[in-house]
Amino acid sequence: MAEVHVIGQIMGAIGFSESSLFCKWGVHTGAAWKLLSGVREGQTQVDTPQVGDMAYWSHPIDLHFATKGLQGWPRLHLQVWSQDSFGRCQLSGYGFCHVPSSPGTHQLDCPTWRPLGSWREQLARAFVGGGPQLLHGDAIYSGADRYRLHTAAGGIVRLELGLLLRHFDRYGVEC
Amino acid sequence: MTAAGPSVFLLMVNGQVESAQFPEYDDLYCKYCFVYGQDWAPTAGLEEGISQITSKSQDVRRALVWNFPIDVTFKSTNPYGWPQIVLSVYGPDVFGNDVVRGYGAVHVPFSPGRHKRTIPMFVPESTSKLQKFTSWFMGRRPEYTDPKVVAQGEGREVTRVRSQGFVTLLFNVVTKDMRKLGYDTGPPDTQGATGPSPPQGIPR
Repeated sequence: MAEVHVIGQIMGAIGFSESSLFCKWGVHTGAAWKLLSGVREGQTQVDTPQVGDMAYWSHPIDLHFATKGLQGWPRLHLQVWSQDSFGRCQLSGYGFCHVPSSPGTHQLDCPTWRPLGSWREQLARAFVGGGPQLLHGDAIYSGADRYRLHTAAGGIVRLELGLLLRHFDRYGVEC
Repeated sequence: MTAAGPSVFLLMVNGQVESAQFPEYDDLYCKYCFVYGQDWAPTAGLEEGISQITSKSQDVRRALVWNFPIDVTFKSTNPYGWPQIVLSVYGPDVFGNDVVRGYGAVHVPFSPGRHKRTIPMFVPESTSKLQKFTSWFMGRRPEYTDPKVVAQGEGREVTRVRSQGFVTLLFNVVTKDMRKLGYDTGPPDTQGATGPSPPQGIPR
């Protein structure tokens, strides 16, 4: 079986209007993939930047997959939330990106979006906070029911992911 | 009969903790240590170190330079648990106590060659304003009991931190027998390790 190691960090986020941010992340794969070691999902710390406007998490990711097929290449999905001084959390953006498919180190910029509601909900969000959220997290990385959504852009999540492939050349896979 | 292939690969890392950018703090020293998985073992070199105390230069750059050497070799059977270097930076506060100014961690690069990494440094934040004042006054800031926690992802969801500086590291990486074991680490990193360190922020 071929093996894939994903080793890297969720560096941080930039471009969000709120400043104390954290990220919930997870990795979704197809049926042919099996996670041998590592945690498939997690949540970063909450960071408030003192210098500049990028929130830094430096959250390590270390995953070891074994795979029998190329379908369902791993996808990293992210939810960026902000925390205010009262400890309330508010959604700032959803985003996903595929784990790179060529070996080596990659710098990734993952754009995010958040659902807009009606004008009432947008007004309430501006004053009181809160706002609409997705009921099912798989809309973040699948295209199935996206046509129902009306969204606005959030900021960008920066990731540095390194990919180590094993035995792909035995099966004739070029990447 | 062909000889049995290697079962272990080696990773040799050398380099330096080059410099730091902390706009608000001065007279800093740093400690580094390596965190790695169960399949890894250091075979040569030093796993930990403490640097000298450095002050900001008098010229316009206001640079904090350590130029502190790193030299370690690991052996492993599995890339899972790839070593990370964990840095902790400490400095004096206004009363003269030694307080933590930042923690940071980064994976050792895995493609052979020369790499420059600038990592952000963060400190845990006090829960309430009263605690913040008390810790400032008494000189006992919130810190991690074991800095190696910074290299793990689990258990971080309840911590609040403040990022307040950067440290630049240089690595030279050499691996042995990774290709024989079937691993493909990709082309050498094209991030560019030449040129001076950035004055502020991470280069893109």
